[in-house]
Amino acid sequence: MDFSLSKEEQLIQKAAAEYAEKFIEPVAKQIDEENKVPDEIIRGLGELDLFGIPFDEEYGGAGAGYLCYVLAMEQIAAASSGVGMILSAHTLGLGAIDKFGTEEQKKKYMFKPCRGEEVASFAFTEPGTGSDPKQIATTARKEGDYYIINGTKRFISNAGYPGPIVVFAKEEETGKVSGFIVEKWCEGYSISEPWEKLGMHGGPLLDVYLKDVKVPAENLLGGPGMGYAILQFAISFGKVGVSACALGGAEAACREAFKYAKEKMHRDQPITKFQGIRLALAEIAERVEACRWLTYRLGYLADNVKNPAQFAKEAALTKDFICAQIVDISRLAVNVHGSYGLMKDYKVERLWRDAIMGLQIEGVSDMQKEIVAGVIIGSK
Amino acid sequence: MNVVVAMKQIPDLQQIRIKNRQPVFDDVPLTFGSIDKNALEAGVNLKENGLADKVIVLSAGNEDLEDTIKEALAAGADEAFLILGDDLNGAESSVIAQVLTAGIKQIEDVGLILFGEGSGDNYSGQVGSRVAEILGWPQVGYAGAVKVEGNKAVVTRVLEDAEEVVEVSLPAVITVVSGINEARIPSVTQILKAGKKPKEIVEEDELDEINKDALITTVSNLAPESDRKRVVVKSTAELVDKLKSENMI
Repeated sequence: MDFSLSKEEQLIQKAAAEYAEKFIEPVAKQIDEENKVPDEIIRGLGELDLFGIPFDEEYGGAGAGYLCYVLAMEQIAAASSGVGMILSAHTLGLGAIDKFGTEEQKKKYMFKPCRGEEVASFAFTEPGTGSDPKQIATTARKEGDYYIINGTKRFISNAGYPGPIVVFAKEEETGKVSGFIVEKWCEGYSISEPWEKLGMHGGPLLDVYLKDVKVPAENLLGGPGMGYAILQFAISFGKVGVSACALGGAEAACREAFKYAKEKMHRDQPITKFQGIRLALAEIAERVEACRWLTYRLGYLADNVKNPAQFAKEAALTKDFICAQIVDISRLAVNVHGSYGLMKDYKVERLWRDAIMGLQIEGVSDMQKEIVAGVIIGSK
Repeated sequence: MNVVVAMKQIPDLQQIRIKNRQPVFDDVPLTFGSIDKNALEAGVNLKENGLADKVIVLSAGNEDLEDTIKEALAAGADEAFLILGDDLNGAESSVIAQVLTAGIKQIEDVGLILFGEGSGDNYSGQVGSRVAEILGWPQVGYAGAVKVEGNKAVVTRVLEDAEEVVEVSLPAVITVVSGINEARIPSVTQILKAGKKPKEIVEEDELDEINKDALITTVSNLAPESDRKRVVVKSTAELVDKLKSENMI
């Protein structure tokens, strides 16, 4: 068992950290306040190949795998979880095309997104359902060489950026759910204003309205009726991004807590001299370390999937554990700051708001536990 | 014309801990100094503007250098020329200058050698000048801008109170300041391809005889101690007076 990173992995981590420090951190507060990531950040991430880290070079990616994606995401999300959320949802959508797309689909729809020239989306959730395929109300009607898609999708990340969106719809003929690659901003595609959410500002969640959207039949993803299989497998890879994003937030909370405690004076000595603070700092450090290695492990597993159900379990337990931990970690970091931790002048206030989002996005906590229990019990 | 950029392998300064007033280097990753990266960026810029054929990074150090050099190759160097020796990490300037010069003599068509003004760890600022002296080439220091025009370089020297523009015939040695550019952040693809770029490796003992007589002994290596003056003032006027008396305003 080797826990060391290769030089290449270290350099990818370092490049992402340097970019985050130089270009994202200075505007992170602005991103939080305006709920918008500046376009130059998206371009910059694209130039560093961070939009295509895990995907093969022949489709425009960097071919570095999911572990390197985790290493980079940790650093980016530590500066701004909103930016992390854009990257994570993008990689989820593109990952679905990568895993289930035909050669032609991959060549047509992955190149520009891998370079950050477009941003991908993934659209399953609807006003009436989060992840139950039986409740899907969006329909796809076959007409000659096209499908006509109608419906509303809810809480869709990156829906305003141009690029491919993987849309799930119930085929009218068979009643089965299928996945389709749709080009955002095609005729009949429109979006709502971004939802005003608690945290992870800058990572936009919108509703998508599909009105008689005409999609070529060759844009069917993975074959007829494969929708739920695509959802289950792709969302497992999506949890790699969500976990890494949470890890970045945990790491940032840890840094902020230690930095503040070393600088804050009480009775002429830094508060790191007081046991109450020392215990809190130690607990933060312990939890962050556990989160780090669990997430790195998930990145490794994503590069070496042998059994999709087992991988789904690992992804679910990692995502659930880390997203719960980061709530506690950021709360402890706020505690170290005392009242100042509640003030927007301090980064930890934003980290706490961001942390709370994790348990609900990309599958709520209880559903993750159901997946974990289902796979373990089912395999005995 | 090829541009050689000399870079020094050093511990990542941000990750060094201090224990008992001594730096602890255990598990500290190796990297290159930030001004060395500016020198590399200057070389890569010359190549990208069609003013150089290849950028060759030159470095001397222990065997870890084979891994560390990937950072320079990812940041735009075309090739690497490495001189390996167990005692080269931390060797003093006079030794390193001889070693690098021996390396340079084995590289073809060198028109320009770029150094950072000082290394990221000791910042002695001597190696570039020493290499120029051994080679008998002209040297220009404190370069804030470098242009190559035919067989000469036009260098803007950034001095304390002025900028001086000089011309120097090539081949030459130029040492650059950090303000010359913003070193690029390598992309993931460039990082992954770095290990596949050409590398020539020679062992230190394959070089012509190097005089390793120690000329310098480091007696102490500590940051200067500073103490707060703890002056208490009762009014703004008194604060102004105190600051004036200390020549602070």
